[in-house]
Amino acid sequence: MTGPVQVLVVGFEEYSRSGEIMAELTKLADAGVVRLLDVLLVARNEDGRLETLPAPPGSDPDLGRLATAFLSEAEDDDHRIGQGGTDPAVWSLEDAVPPGGAAAVALIEHMWAQPFVQAVRRSGGRMLDETWLAPDDLELLDRLAEETR
Amino acid sequence: MLLVPKQLLRVGMTGDVPYYGGRLTPAQAYAASHPRPRPAAPAPRTRADQQRAALRHLLDTGVITPEEHERFVARVAP
Repeated sequence: MTGPVQVLVVGFEEYSRSGEIMAELTKLADAGVVRLLDVLLVARNEDGRLETLPAPPGSDPDLGRLATAFLSEAEDDDHRIGQGGTDPAVWSLEDAVPPGGAAAVALIEHMWAQPFVQAVRRSGGRMLDETWLAPDDLELLDRLAEETR
Repeated sequence: MLLVPKQLLRVGMTGDVPYYGGRLTPAQAYAASHPRPRPAAPAPRTRADQQRAALRHLLDTGVITPEEHERFVARVAP
């Protein structure tokens, strides 16, 4: 991998098979903006157990295989730090998907960010923070942008 | 297929663990703004206190009516 890889977990009350999200990700991949490494569909039972869901009909039969291998704990895996998500620096899929919910988990490599990240590293820069703006702040930013035009 | 997820390190885009400059991390800020309920009061000491507390719990959870609660509390030996 050369670009930063994001794990995007999109939750659904019930899994929708519309394919809209996949279509958008595919468009971005075709444009070279991102590389969709894999997508996995999961459901979390009311008892808290996570189960993988079959790939949608017509999709690559290997869809989800890489993500499953990567996100799940192997029997001889000593990578697991501890259950419960009490350390804010670690997370697991079970922290993200609520019981009774379903989610699409995408592993996305951000090709567009690769030169930026390399430039940051070359210049000795360090990312101090990164976040997404909340809708209210986004509206404020829109208004300010309009006013300053 | 059952999936047992492993814990992954949360990092920023550059691969560094996010540094919050001495401020609370988002998770800590969330925890601070969503305080957990206070721990339950210590268990009553005497048997009568325990019985009253148990009856209070039954009343609070709707198992017994206020009238029944009053009647049963009156039976508790001081």
